[in-house]
Amino acid sequence: MNVADWVVLLGTIVGIAAYGSWRTRQVRSLNTYLRGNASTGWGTIGLSVMATQASAITFLSIPGQGFESGIGFVQNYFGLPLALIVVCAVFLPMYRRLNVYTAYEFLGRRFDKKTRLLGAGLFLLQRGLAAGVTIYAPAIIISTVLGWPLDLVIVFTGLLVIVYTVTGGSEAVALTHKWQMAVISVGMVTAMVVLLRRLPDGLGFTGAAHVAGALGKLQAVDFSLDPSRRYTVWTGVFGGLFLSLSYFGTDQSQVQRYIGGASLREGRLGLMFNAVLKIPMQFAILLLGALLFVFYQFAPHPVFFNQAEWRRHAQDGRFPALEAQHASAVAQSESAIRAWLQARTSDDAAREASARVAMVAASHRTHEIRAEAKAALVAADPRAKTTDSDYVFITFILTQLPHGAVGLLVAVMFAAALSSKASELAALGTTTTIDFWRHFRPLAADDEARNVRAARRFTALWGVFAVAFALFAGFAENLIEAINILGSIFYGVLLGLFVVAFFFRRVGGSAVFFAAVTAQALVIVMYFSLNIGYLWYNLIGCAACIAFSVALQAVLPPRARADG
Amino acid sequence: MTPAPGRDERSETEPPDVPGFRTWRGVYLFVFGWFVLVVILLTVFTGIFS
Repeated sequence: MNVADWVVLLGTIVGIAAYGSWRTRQVRSLNTYLRGNASTGWGTIGLSVMATQASAITFLSIPGQGFESGIGFVQNYFGLPLALIVVCAVFLPMYRRLNVYTAYEFLGRRFDKKTRLLGAGLFLLQRGLAAGVTIYAPAIIISTVLGWPLDLVIVFTGLLVIVYTVTGGSEAVALTHKWQMAVISVGMVTAMVVLLRRLPDGLGFTGAAHVAGALGKLQAVDFSLDPSRRYTVWTGVFGGLFLSLSYFGTDQSQVQRYIGGASLREGRLGLMFNAVLKIPMQFAILLLGALLFVFYQFAPHPVFFNQAEWRRHAQDGRFPALEAQHASAVAQSESAIRAWLQARTSDDAAREASARVAMVAASHRTHEIRAEAKAALVAADPRAKTTDSDYVFITFILTQLPHGAVGLLVAVMFAAALSSKASELAALGTTTTIDFWRHFRPLAADDEARNVRAARRFTALWGVFAVAFALFAGFAENLIEAINILGSIFYGVLLGLFVVAFFFRRVGGSAVFFAAVTAQALVIVMYFSLNIGYLWYNLIGCAACIAFSVALQAVLPPRARADG
Repeated sequence: MTPAPGRDERSETEPPDVPGFRTWRGVYLFVFGWFVLVVILLTVFTGIFS
């Protein structure tokens, strides 16, 4: 990175944070601090919802996913528009009618205090532990590639987001989200344009798409009923619906983005904006990854994209040999692709078919050498990191983009990290203040200034906790997966609470509370005794909570009046 | 501190005020139709390039 890159990076990232802090420095009203400006329109709400979901990992990992496995991952988002329709029609009107600050306040109104505290507690446990990871995960990649000290990246990101989130609360979060999404959009379009211009002469988008398709990277949809396939239309629609419903309907970091605003209409349109744009946006990011794959068929590239990790173990004599084999295989693969492209223009179907077989075989050989390289890393150090797909896009950015654009794309990663982190901190601070602090200090509820001060302190505390956790996370290799597992263990029961609240009108507070506790215990026991994919615990937790609630309600006395 | 309930009860039945749509049900049907169209387009894309 040169001076131009630094100017663009610091100008955008620090500039947006400073702008957000300055514009919202005089926020004194609790309603504005926790729910944002009362005149917020649907465009701001829509961008804020989108920015909350789009973390830095979205822009680092998803192009890598397209590069490695193709664009089939887009099916994971098929349930999202359907879930947002349900949130618009059922969840959002109820939240606004009750005029709540948090989703868990609704549980208190519908059931009782203990159920509200249970819901808020599950959220804080899950989001609080994940808070460190959302700083750590992009920081480790950015610091590795750019050679910056990891702790410095974590502290810089953490302090920046703490300053403007604590200063302006939800209003600052929504305001900065707009500009961060603008940086992200301009950056990603720039990367796509540069990528298309760097493709070999005469190939173009269509030619590159045909190459990617022939090498198995462009199967966007798969209607297979085979349960062993990871991404199909059916897992996307049903699994995605379920996950999106819990994320958008019950996670305060999202709920807080849309319950404010000028009216119910603005919130609904903001969500519908996401329902319409999310799949095309994810498709474009995955397509970028698939086109990166084609680009690297014609350009020299490392056998393992995490070069820092590779060099750390490169003393072994096998490593240079693998690099030489890979370079040779890439050259052969390029020749085979050019031969196939020529054969396509002839009318000879047999020639085209044999050229295609040769091209696929050559590409497969390159893939095999990459697998051998990963095996060599593990042989050199069993704890070596063998997933390098997260490093593909950032490698392209640093080696192929012109100066200025490099700074812009690094700013994209920071903007995405800050945007998701800000929503998370605001939600954690709000839930701690409204669902816990005010619960245990009921006399403070009428002192608005004191409430705002408490919300600021809790938001700052969660920020400091997240930074400290991210600094510690460097010592634990499998922490990210552990946090994902933890999320899946608690998300299902949380959604179950809300599903019972909305759709099982006869179930009361005690039934749903004990059902949720039992369901949570069941999920934890199953996790330690069964060997199934952890995503299934979302479904199991939700289904168990509903089933136990209905069963318990049948044997318990009629429900007590809700006392939220 | 929490404002009185009921600020949006009337607006739930109000039209979406979006050109071409008289009810929210119409907006949801449009979004659902858009989703179906996107899946169809992705299927066609897969057919052309795979």
